[in-house]
Amino acid sequence: MLGFTLAFIATCLHVALCFAVAPLLIGTTNKLRAWLLGRRGPPLLLPYWHLAKLLRKSTVLPDTATDLFTFWPLGAMLAMAVSVMLIPGYSTGLLTGPAADAITIVGLFALARAATMLGGLETGAGFGGAGAAREALFGIFAEGALLVLLLAFALLARTTNIDGIANDFRAAHLGISVSLGFALAAMLAVALTEAGRIPTDNPSGHLELAMVHEAMALDYSGRLLALLDYAGALRLLAWMNLIGTIFLPFGMARAGDVLSWPLGLVLWALKLAVMAVALCLFEVSRAKMRVFRVPEFLGAALLLGMLASVFLFVAARIGA
Amino acid sequence: MFGLPGHGMQLHLDALSILFACILLPQTVAAALAGMRGSIAFWVFVLGMALTLAAGDGFTLIFGFELMSAASWLLVMQGDVKPATFYAGVAIFSGACLIPAIFLPASSLAFVLVALGAGAKAGLAPLHSWLPRAHPAPPAGVSALMSGGMVKIALYVLIRYGFVVLAPAQQPWWGTVLMVAGAASVLVGALRAVLEVDLKTALACSTVEHVGLIAVGLGVALRAKALGDATLTGLGLEAALLCAVAHGLFKPLLFIGAGEVKHATGTLSLNWLGGLMRGMPRLGALMLLGAAGMAALPLGPGFAPEFLLLHAVIQAAAGGGILARIGFSALLAVLGLGAALALAAAVRIIGIGFLGRPRSLHAAAAEDARRGPFIAMALLGALCVPVALLPGLLLGVMTPVIRLLAPDADTPPLTYAPLSLLLLALLAALAAGFIQTRFGVRGLREVPAWHGGFGRPPAWLPFGDPHTQPSGAGFAEPVARVLGRGLLGAQGQDPSEHFLLGPLLRGQRRAVRLAERVRRATIRERLAFVFAALVLFLLALGLGQGG
Repeated sequence: MLGFTLAFIATCLHVALCFAVAPLLIGTTNKLRAWLLGRRGPPLLLPYWHLAKLLRKSTVLPDTATDLFTFWPLGAMLAMAVSVMLIPGYSTGLLTGPAADAITIVGLFALARAATMLGGLETGAGFGGAGAAREALFGIFAEGALLVLLLAFALLARTTNIDGIANDFRAAHLGISVSLGFALAAMLAVALTEAGRIPTDNPSGHLELAMVHEAMALDYSGRLLALLDYAGALRLLAWMNLIGTIFLPFGMARAGDVLSWPLGLVLWALKLAVMAVALCLFEVSRAKMRVFRVPEFLGAALLLGMLASVFLFVAARIGA
Repeated sequence: MFGLPGHGMQLHLDALSILFACILLPQTVAAALAGMRGSIAFWVFVLGMALTLAAGDGFTLIFGFELMSAASWLLVMQGDVKPATFYAGVAIFSGACLIPAIFLPASSLAFVLVALGAGAKAGLAPLHSWLPRAHPAPPAGVSALMSGGMVKIALYVLIRYGFVVLAPAQQPWWGTVLMVAGAASVLVGALRAVLEVDLKTALACSTVEHVGLIAVGLGVALRAKALGDATLTGLGLEAALLCAVAHGLFKPLLFIGAGEVKHATGTLSLNWLGGLMRGMPRLGALMLLGAAGMAALPLGPGFAPEFLLLHAVIQAAAGGGILARIGFSALLAVLGLGAALALAAAVRIIGIGFLGRPRSLHAAAAEDARRGPFIAMALLGALCVPVALLPGLLLGVMTPVIRLLAPDADTPPLTYAPLSLLLLALLAALAAGFIQTRFGVRGLREVPAWHGGFGRPPAWLPFGDPHTQPSGAGFAEPVARVLGRGLLGAQGQDPSEHFLLGPLLRGQRRAVRLAERVRRATIRERLAFVFAALVLFLLALGLGQGG
């Protein structure tokens, strides 16, 4: 009973913190990126004010949109919200842990992607349709690469549950392995594409021909745009949590052990900060690719993911 | 009265045939409601399928199977003659493979013949290229039953023979054959489903993909059964059977919906549709449900089978020889690509066909589905809900079937819990609703769309210029450019037509030309031929005797 209560409190804390912190993460990356480019940058809390402003603005409905126009942003946000609730953050052993199967999470990401794409096609505008078509193309390679990557983790941890993978990777000292290195590189490529960051999409570009995520949100305003923006923030957090849980599981708290929570929370914040810095450093040092280079980029990720598994098979064969 | 002399016709029902009869029943009712009630050929078609399921001996099975083929050929011919001829050819090929296989003793040869015969009928690669031509040709109700039911009957024959009748001679490589054919079907079917502009053809290509998924599941199970892996056998069978159940509900739904689209607008080309959700909201909502199943999205009917299948492949990759393991990781990559391609195809059908601006006046003036087809679709849609939300319960019901196919198979509990995901989503929606009512403003104001700065269209284009929004072909262009031209060739031709049917056709032409040449031979040429043959024969005889 005590264990259940503790797990419940830990889960509530995880959900509340994730939902509260997601816009701050966007604010931090924007600020850091501006600093690295030698500008002062927007205030850290700007994303919150932005969301509050959007909520208070009236929402307009384009006359060419159908009745489902308001449904897609909500669908995208809910799918991302559920995946954020499932992926462990500062602690393992949450109540949502048993449902956090990696394939369920891939499915939820696909659901969010489908809702965003349909939202882009809703008004019949050229930009929205082009963005959706590109998103479909990126999604094909990203999903293939992600599944192959999961295989490497599933082979190492003997489970496909993210919670289980985190527990296993934290307990076993896997050390630095070639497989995990390949898997990390591939995972970063997929994460950058899925979260719409720089080599494949420009999060701060609002009207350029090669935009992808922004193109699909172009006709949304008011509270619907707030939902889409918040879904974007949740998506970045979900990917950072996923990478943090799999590759940096050290110091994660256990839900049943209250004393481990403070350290877990501090380390979680630290991990998010480190990942934000790394993301910004990468983004300012890279140029955006052409749209048709992205499949090659993700194809390389798919091959790296395959290689990660193949190395594991070879290692198992020669008994290394 | 019928049947082999002195043997008669034996009927026998067991768990497997009852499961497939349950898959067949709702779509038959739906197809009948969708306007096929009055057709005799349709009821003969249904009778053929039912007879195949209820067959207790090989002769009855073949009789039902061929009855089904012949009746469906008549129905296809009512729609279009050209694919009907092709279809008849494939049906004859599949009969020619199945009939000897049924009467052979259990052996690998028998399995290969069954796989060829039933696989050709089910649309497994590389014998699938008739399916995207023949399935869209007849009226929607028949298309629905062909895609949802007939391919399942062919798979039933494959399962019955692969797992039960030929079980004494089973080999691991049987499963490998099914997996390779299934993976090829998944890739080609899903890719073509994204590229085809005709709505029904795209749906038929998606059927090829789902048949591939079922075949991969069966292949994993068959291989694991021969190798004695109980858990993997159970997982593969669960995935294949659940996929058959789900596909038997959402694909007929989509086909009947496509028929209503054709009825309301006069076209099935995605390039001429658009904005149908405005005129046909009820049909659109049901099509959205079907598309969610087709794309295997979580909380939809298609996700649980996909989930089980991916788990089965991941588990299969965890053991065995190194080549097999590498093969399974490649299979996983193919399944991932296939799932995302299916998502793109489903989004294209809904996004281009039902959302956006109308691309023709017919699409703008479309009225909602007629009563009969709407009831049919609503029935199938309602049955999708338990499949989507209670897959664990359904798997429990299927346990006797799995026991029948593999007596020592393990059935591990499903770790995908749609109800808890739904609960979490509900909590998040409540929180969002609370924040919206507490801090936000209500109301929606309808305004002219911005449309990226295009000027207002002239008066004779009431819905704007159709060319300023992406068409069905335009949406698929990035995929066609990156994957389509590599896998399907420059003209988007199916590889099976390019590499299998093309050479066959050329060979046949050459043989015809040769036969014609022989027919036109003069008397001197014929005499010379007979003489040369005689000399050669004597020479061979003499050399053989002398040696």
